[in-house]
Amino acid sequence: MNDLLGIMLVTLIIWAGLFAYVYRVDRKVRRLEMEDL
Amino acid sequence: MGTVLRWVLFVWMAVIIWAAFYYAPAASGFQGQSSRIVFFHVPTAWVATLAFLVSCIASIRYLRSRDPKEDIRASVAGALGLTFAILATVTGSIFARIMWGSYWNWDPRETSITFLLLIYAAYFALRAAIADPERRATMSAVYAILAFVTVPFLVFVVPRIYWSLHPDTIINTQGRIKMDSRMFQVLMGSLVGFTGVFSWLYSLECRVEGIRRRRQHEVL
Amino acid sequence: MWRFLAEAGAVFTKDLRTEFRTRVALNALGLFAITTLAAVSYTIGPYRIAENDRPFLLAALLWIVIFFAAMAGLDRTFVKEEDTHTAPLLRLSAEPLVVWAGKLLFNFVLLDVLMAILVPLYMVLMGFRVASTAGFLLVLVAGGYTLAVTTTMVAAIIARAMTRGALFSVLSLPLLLPLLIFLIQGTRAAVEGSAEGISDSLRAVVSLGGVMTVVSVVLFPVVWNE
Repeated sequence: MNDLLGIMLVTLIIWAGLFAYVYRVDRKVRRLEMEDL
Repeated sequence: MGTVLRWVLFVWMAVIIWAAFYYAPAASGFQGQSSRIVFFHVPTAWVATLAFLVSCIASIRYLRSRDPKEDIRASVAGALGLTFAILATVTGSIFARIMWGSYWNWDPRETSITFLLLIYAAYFALRAAIADPERRATMSAVYAILAFVTVPFLVFVVPRIYWSLHPDTIINTQGRIKMDSRMFQVLMGSLVGFTGVFSWLYSLECRVEGIRRRRQHEVL
Repeated sequence: MWRFLAEAGAVFTKDLRTEFRTRVALNALGLFAITTLAAVSYTIGPYRIAENDRPFLLAALLWIVIFFAAMAGLDRTFVKEEDTHTAPLLRLSAEPLVVWAGKLLFNFVLLDVLMAILVPLYMVLMGFRVASTAGFLLVLVAGGYTLAVTTTMVAAIIARAMTRGALFSVLSLPLLLPLLIFLIQGTRAAVEGSAEGISDSLRAVVSLGGVMTVVSVVLFPVVWNE
């Protein structure tokens, strides 16, 4: 049971990290696109 | 992808992850909890195939319109497809090890994903070998289409023949199990979520590549 | 129609004559095939495979040798045009599909010559025997055609790229994987004398060849004129 919880939490953390990273890239791209206009 | 949609995606996938471990039951006939990897493995394979489709459609459109944007779409979809194909192969291999004790068995699905990997690798090798942008776009588009027409043969015809001659090949039982309804729900939800992630990454990468090329032109 | 055939024939004859002068492709194919065959025969030989495994393993080895020999020489017909700078002239003097047909024929003939030498040698050195000779021949011819039509397209694509030799193999192999599987199964069926296996395989090979032909007719002009 604990192993399962552990794996799930790790997966969630990975997902959160990935999401945060891509979110930041998205914001940066938006800024760059504004500049180009 | 709008802000709301992105946060919806975040919550969606978080719920799916929880559900994969606690809402859905572990399937019988599998080692312990290992069946849960299905909720992550199947969607990556699905996305790898979806990306291939997107890449091919963009390739066809490029050849018709010669619009550089289509070449961006084709190559971005290809890169994402390669990434997800690698993920699918790795997760599948881990699963095979848990279930059947060996990392690789060349059963039809494993063969199909390997084929996809080879196509993607060849696609990028081709792109790397051509310097002129228009020629690169054209040649890689043609190759993508060539690869696309071979896929039906590999995916549909080979397994039929394959089985009749290799009856002792270990069967990937996913297709045979009548799925528990909860498992089915989580799997579908995961598919939707992964597709959402793919489409976000895809549109983002297309924009990045667009900016990159625009700036290159300005410098020149 | 006749004009098309005549012009394609001219391209084919030109390639044939050029090839006979230097014999590069033929040597590459032949040498590769014979060396590999010698290696296989020496290490494995006719007696070291168990009886029930023989049909499948011998079929697989045969086609692997053929395929890799093909990789060694089938891109030559396009690469040579680029290297000797005769490509632009060819583009001016002939329609794209004429060039395609001529070079496809060349590759097909090249493969047939290779198989004509290799297969009997293989049968002798590896103790390879087929129950159904007609079926086996059909598999060889159909396989040869489909192999030729696919590699002709790929050769045209890579002719003006860098690292051509390696690129040719890298691009061809994924496209040829299904064909390889069908041919091995068809050959195995020919060894065992299973008419059903042969026809299954032939149907797949022929339809693959047909699809590749249609796609080539549409896409070759695009590649050639780029």
